[in-house]
Amino acid sequence: MLKRGKTLMLPAWLSRYIDVRHAVRRRTSLAFPLSLAGLAGLVALFVAIPVVYIFVRAAGADLDDWQRLLQARIWKLLGNTLLLVAAVTGGTLLIGVSMAWLTERTDLPGRKILRWMFAMPLAIPAYIGGIVHLALLRPRGGLLPQMLENLFGQPVLTPSPLGFFGAAFILTLFTFPYVYLLSGAAFRSQHASLEESARMLGYNAWQAVFFVTLPALRPGLLAGALLVALDILGEYGTVALLRYETFSSAIFVQLSGRYDRSAAAVLSGVLVTLAMIILWTELRVQGQARFTQMDSSWRPAPLAALGRWRYLMLIVALGVVFTSLLVPVGVLLAWSVQSFLDPQTLQEVFRTGSRGFGSFAWNSLWTSTLAALVAVTLSLPVALFSVRHSGWISRFIARFCQVGYAIPGVVIALSLVLLVNRAVPILYATPFVVVIAYVLRHMPQAVRASEAALNQLSPALEEAARISGLTAFQAFRHVTLPLILPGLLAGGALVFLTSLKELPATLLLRPAGFDTLAVRVWVWAADGFYVQAAPAALFLVLASALPLFFLLRREQIFK
Amino acid sequence: MNQSRMISLLFLLIFALAACTPSAPATPSAAAMPITGATAEVVPSATVKLSAPASIEAASNPAATSAAQAPVRGKLVIYSGRSEPLLRPVIDAFKAQNPKVEILLKAGSNSEVANALIEEKANPQADLFITTEMFTVQSLAQQDIFQPYRPAGADLLPAEFIGPNNSWVGLTRRARVIIYNTDRVAKADLPKSIFDLTDPKWKGKIAAAGSTNGSMQAQIAAMRQLLGAKETEKWLVGLLDNKVTFFGGHTDVRKAVGTGEFALGLVNHYYYHLQLAEGSKVGVIYPDQGEGQVGLITNATGAAVVKGAPNAAAARAFIDFLISPEGQKLFAGQNYEYPLLPGVTLRAGVQPLDAFRLVKVDVVKAAQETDATFDLIEKVGLP
Amino acid sequence: MTKLSVQHLGKQYTQAALPAVEDVSFELENGEILALVGPSGCGKTTTLRMIAGLERPDAGMICLNGQVVASESRFMPPEQRGVGMVFQDHALFPHLNVFENIAFGLRGRKPAETKQVVGEMLDLVGLASLAKRFPHALSGGERQRVALARALAPRPVLVLMDEPFSSLDTDLRLVMREQVRSLIKVMHATVIFVTHDQEEALYMGDRLAVFQQGRLEQIGTPEQIFQASATRFVAAFMGNSSFLPGEVTLDGIHTEIGLLRQPVDFPVTARVEVAIRADDVDFRSDPQGNSIIVDRIFRGMQNIYHLQLDSGLLLQAFKEHTLVLPIGERVQTVISAGHPLCVFHEVDCV
Repeated sequence: MLKRGKTLMLPAWLSRYIDVRHAVRRRTSLAFPLSLAGLAGLVALFVAIPVVYIFVRAAGADLDDWQRLLQARIWKLLGNTLLLVAAVTGGTLLIGVSMAWLTERTDLPGRKILRWMFAMPLAIPAYIGGIVHLALLRPRGGLLPQMLENLFGQPVLTPSPLGFFGAAFILTLFTFPYVYLLSGAAFRSQHASLEESARMLGYNAWQAVFFVTLPALRPGLLAGALLVALDILGEYGTVALLRYETFSSAIFVQLSGRYDRSAAAVLSGVLVTLAMIILWTELRVQGQARFTQMDSSWRPAPLAALGRWRYLMLIVALGVVFTSLLVPVGVLLAWSVQSFLDPQTLQEVFRTGSRGFGSFAWNSLWTSTLAALVAVTLSLPVALFSVRHSGWISRFIARFCQVGYAIPGVVIALSLVLLVNRAVPILYATPFVVVIAYVLRHMPQAVRASEAALNQLSPALEEAARISGLTAFQAFRHVTLPLILPGLLAGGALVFLTSLKELPATLLLRPAGFDTLAVRVWVWAADGFYVQAAPAALFLVLASALPLFFLLRREQIFK
Repeated sequence: MNQSRMISLLFLLIFALAACTPSAPATPSAAAMPITGATAEVVPSATVKLSAPASIEAASNPAATSAAQAPVRGKLVIYSGRSEPLLRPVIDAFKAQNPKVEILLKAGSNSEVANALIEEKANPQADLFITTEMFTVQSLAQQDIFQPYRPAGADLLPAEFIGPNNSWVGLTRRARVIIYNTDRVAKADLPKSIFDLTDPKWKGKIAAAGSTNGSMQAQIAAMRQLLGAKETEKWLVGLLDNKVTFFGGHTDVRKAVGTGEFALGLVNHYYYHLQLAEGSKVGVIYPDQGEGQVGLITNATGAAVVKGAPNAAAARAFIDFLISPEGQKLFAGQNYEYPLLPGVTLRAGVQPLDAFRLVKVDVVKAAQETDATFDLIEKVGLP
Repeated sequence: MTKLSVQHLGKQYTQAALPAVEDVSFELENGEILALVGPSGCGKTTTLRMIAGLERPDAGMICLNGQVVASESRFMPPEQRGVGMVFQDHALFPHLNVFENIAFGLRGRKPAETKQVVGEMLDLVGLASLAKRFPHALSGGERQRVALARALAPRPVLVLMDEPFSSLDTDLRLVMREQVRSLIKVMHATVIFVTHDQEEALYMGDRLAVFQQGRLEQIGTPEQIFQASATRFVAAFMGNSSFLPGEVTLDGIHTEIGLLRQPVDFPVTARVEVAIRADDVDFRSDPQGNSIIVDRIFRGMQNIYHLQLDSGLLLQAFKEHTLVLPIGERVQTVISAGHPLCVFHEVDCV
């Protein structure tokens, strides 16, 4: 990572140019910013069209439709959704921050390994986690209740993963790593002197944590919490599986009920508006998060000694790891082994429907990779424009391109279905529509990663290149691009990861005979064929774990 | 650096593994263009068994009693409202007879798939539509989605199961029944009518499929036609008051009743048999047979050829197969359904329909009133 | 009245070969400013942190206001010691504004009282108009002033300052120094001030304690430290001394540039080194002189000349800023000190 102010090593060939005495400073022509702005604007347009179309369709819906929808269960659904969002956000904050504190600021035994294990559940899509826990804990039907029933001779009450509490619990388990990683990074970068000041001013160690350490993290945590909220808002698979109705699932139902898409568009409009409010708040808060950095003479904070709480905390931490990582992976492994041992099941796994396992895996991999490539490429002009020519237009475009966070997969699918069939019918019923959906939905990650990578690069490098005679584009290609490539890769890895496990849009947009791993798992699990679903689920998790591992290492989070 | 390299290598390995596993990699299909002499598919020689021991192998002799035709080649795109596992045996059997055909399946809920067909009307992607009940297919027929086709064996089928102008063909019949868990329900307490399901003594103990399910939608449509909107609404509200749990599909319902999670379930009859075959302690009630009661509600699956289908010939061949004796035997044998073709033996244990008083529903009328049915569903707030 | 008593303090980090602090003892009177000075890594900060309670000593005892706060058997945590501390990076709480930062240590007091105290502190540091601002909106100097106000607000028994000005610009540093010193004196605060800048130490401290490699070399008034350096290190560290070799004779010390007449504790014929600073040296142009000018540094108010003796030894000398002599000119250098110089044993390997 290159920091401003540190001496930077210029490529050798470049220094030759700088030495030239009569280097003429080219007038920075306006052409580059204009074409850059144009490109960025085009990307924003690309992102905007589906959003706009939804609102247009929603506005064009009959008054009857509006009335019908309003008097129906919309309010209950809205309440359900907001309740779930609040519960999961609260839960992830609680678990994420406390686990981060344990691994970063205490002397918890085994914290080096625990750091990885807390981050890895990101590789497990929430609905796969839900499938596992459902199979294990389903009332009367699950493995555990059955075991207990056999043991005790009568049905024993066990916690049920169904309904609100189950959905909130499962979603918290598989989204807390976002908050964990964010707060972990924040804890690590905090200056020791903050807590020490508090101690000198009369606060004991625990009070210092509550009154200083945690509040100082507030902006970063808030940003993370809002991202979690957006994620849950668009969540479909898990809530459908665990029988808890939210807005997203209602939209899905609308799409499967009526022959008129306008009603679905109306619901989508409401959901997107709600999400946009959250997104706007998050973008505002995220900017404030930067003031917590103090980089002069940084000293890492000392570790708090847990003393007699050590083993209790370790048990709690292990409990989290157990339910969020070990149980799902373990069960998937067991089922996969089981499916391999039974030739009939094995055959079903590898040759299902019209295609084989290999094609599902290949479909997943190539669509996600293509989506990552396209998203990162498209994000470049946007990020360049916003970082190098900061102004309200560029900031607006950059923020706008992040609208994908606010649009759930169901809604993107809906708008693409409506649009593509009318505008570009040749694309319809091809997998490329799926790729477009991925790009739209996950563009924000690429934009943020590109912006972060560019922010770390001193503009002086490009200026040096320009002075020595390179055009803006050449400067970009030879100087900027190689240096930000790791950051871009990280953004691409993130897009890849999230596209791999995407469910609702893929379900709705895929052409006949084109299944991804995520879809296969869903279809099997929906009918209760858990064992058959396991190998695909396991493959999905493994294929996600690798880029995740790369991302985590690269961020040097775990030095 | 070494470690990252290893990881990237591992990753490439997975990629390579996925790409090289034995099956044709999905080439992005361009807009509907018939591909002749298409890719050969790896086909298992034996059909894949779904559940029970007594299986019926697919007749692989080409000299079938259906219209003798040369094996079909090329692609066949099927949009199905029936879930994939239930359709698979038939698909596999058809492929056994026609090894050169590549079948691409898009399965979803009835309405989801129907919506797709309507969207694609100007640019048809599908060749064949298979549905779980007749009202959807009739409704789509009314919107001119299908091309007429009367298969050779259609004369043998009851006339009410052929769509007007031969727009669609019925395949199998199913009855709406109540499945119960024998451990949880005593014989004396068994409900006799679907209206008994609103009795408070069953509060929280009933499972059913939700409003996205085609068969459930069809039942509500039928009841609306027979009993009127008010009575149907009363019934639905009664179900909701009784805290009935609504699942996405009947497979969930039958499994839940099988484990004892619920005492009663409202399903299509064959789900009972499927659950029984898994060894669960379940029983079945064919309801409303008494005096003054409404009668047994049935429905039928159907198939239709899409207008402008790229592979219409293959679609027609498939329908031929579906109503041929082997095809019908498969449905009866694998799925415990009631084949529409007379003379096909039912699976052992399946009670023949002529033992019951059945309701008569005007399919065309019901299909015309789908909007009203959906209005009712939404008004009640059925999940 | 002794405020603070440190006896035989020691600290050894397990990974380090040498102790961070070894056998450090000193006492601090009420209202006194003690400056701990020395090069980085000398143990002054560690000592400070042990007094603060942020580190636990391995040996020795610390008594604050007559009460033992750290010893072999006892350790009082920092929040109970009533000691204030100003950190190098000000460590203002980013989520609180200036008022709340200063009020942070006044927990448990009535709101009216808090308001009054904070108001007083703000006036003292001259930041009354910025009470509602947040730290990120303040300049470096303003932040440090807030940090000082925050540390002083609860009227602590002792104030510790860990290189508080090192993150500021030079001219700001000088201004702050003066303001802070006068503020401390106004409030009669007892302060321990850590710095690596000897000039700053000389200015701030009523007494100085010079540290090297964990040991306390010398403690005394600035004059004592400067003029009567106890060890060679102190002489070298304070005021940039050079060391002029010489031999002790009956008349004084014979050096290359002249005879130094002063009584010394060394026996005759002993080889010694004289610590000599730029103000102790004078020269004039002389074609047969004993040294050459090798460099001239213009420092505004003075010229500093670097002179190379024929023996190769480099000395520095001040001249007024108007006197400019060319580099390479031969000059005669003499000792011209109006006060006794510090003399030490000759070091074998230089």
